[in-house]
Amino acid sequence: MTRKSLISATLVAALGVILVLGYLAGRTFRDPARATPIEGMTVLEPAAPLPGFRLHDQNNQVFDLARLQGKWSYVFFGYTHCPDICPTTLVVLRDVQKIAGGKEQGVQYIFVSVDPDRDNAATLKNYVLYFHPEFIGATGGHGELMRLTRALGAYYESGEARGGSYEVHHSAAVFLIDPEAHLRALFAGPHDAARLAQGLQRLKGG
Amino acid sequence: MVHYKHFAVAVMLMMTSLLALADNTIVVRDAWVREAPPGAPVLAAYFTLENPGSKADKLVAVLCPDFDKIEIHATEIRAGVARMVALDALPIPPHAEVRLAPGGHHLMLHHPRRALAAGMNVKLELRFDSGARLTVVAPVRRAESGAMHH
Repeated sequence: MTRKSLISATLVAALGVILVLGYLAGRTFRDPARATPIEGMTVLEPAAPLPGFRLHDQNNQVFDLARLQGKWSYVFFGYTHCPDICPTTLVVLRDVQKIAGGKEQGVQYIFVSVDPDRDNAATLKNYVLYFHPEFIGATGGHGELMRLTRALGAYYESGEARGGSYEVHHSAAVFLIDPEAHLRALFAGPHDAARLAQGLQRLKGG
Repeated sequence: MVHYKHFAVAVMLMMTSLLALADNTIVVRDAWVREAPPGAPVLAAYFTLENPGSKADKLVAVLCPDFDKIEIHATEIRAGVARMVALDALPIPPHAEVRLAPGGHHLMLHHPRRALAAGMNVKLELRFDSGARLTVVAPVRRAESGAMHH
C-alpha cells in the first residue's frame, strides 16, 4: 500500500465513523424514551402502589382505591376556601381535558378537599362541577385523607385561625395515578395544561 | 382656526407633562374579579399597579361593599407546598409595575354579599400609603388558564 492510498483509506474510515456517530446521535434524539424531560414532571420508577382509603365523592358515594382502578387519574389536593391556586389549577385541568378533546377515554380528574371541616359533598358538588361536569370532588375524615396524602407524598396542614377563618396549606403538585392505582408521576406547580397532557401521553406511549 | 388648534395642542401637552410630573399617581390597569363556583365563600381579584412616579408607595387597603372583608394576599409555593400569606401592605416601588395575577399576588374577597357572575362589575376602592384613593371598576370574568390561547 502506498503512502497516498493509506491516507485515503484513513480518511474514508474517519468519514465512516463520523457518519455512524451522526446516525446514532440522530436516532437517540428521535427515540421517545430519550426525549427531553417534561418540565416539572417526575416519573416514579417503579410506580408506587397505594394503600386502601375510604373517602366520599360529591354525590356521597364511596370514593376508595377501587375508584382509581381501570382509569388514569389526575389528582389535586385543595379546598374550596381557596380563591387563587385551587381554581387556577382546576382551570388547567379543564384545559387538559379540552386538549384530550373527549377522545381520551379512561381519564378522570379528581379534586380532593383537605378541609373536610368546611367542605362536604354539597359544597364539593357546586365547586367541581363549575369547572367541568365530569370532574370528581372527594373528601373524608383526616385519618383517611392522610392515608392517601402520605402514600402520594402529598402534604396538608391547617393554618392558624385568623379573623374567624383559616387557610389550609397544601401540596401544589398534580399527581398522576395509573389504571392499576399506582402513583406513576407527579407534576410540580405552576401547572401547564400542555405539559400535563403530554406527560400522560408519554407514559401511555411506553 | 389653525392657531386655536395649535394652542389647544400646546395646552394638552402641558397638562400631560404636569400629570407626569405629579408624584405618586399610581395607575391601576386590567382589574378583574375571577368568577367563582356558585356559593364559593371566597373570590380573588387581580390587577396591575403602575407607579410612574419617583416615590415608593404601598397599597394598604381595599374596600368594597360587596364583600365582608378584603385582604391582600400572596400565594407562595415553598418546597412544593402552596400557602396563602396575608400582607399588611403591598409595596409599589418607583418607576415599577406590580402585577396581581393567578398563582401569585391577589386580593382575597371574603364572603360575597350578592351572587357575582361573569358580566357583572365590582367597584373596588384602593387606598394607598400616600393617602391617595382610587376607585376602579373590576368586571367579573370566567378565568382561562392561557394555555389554550397561544
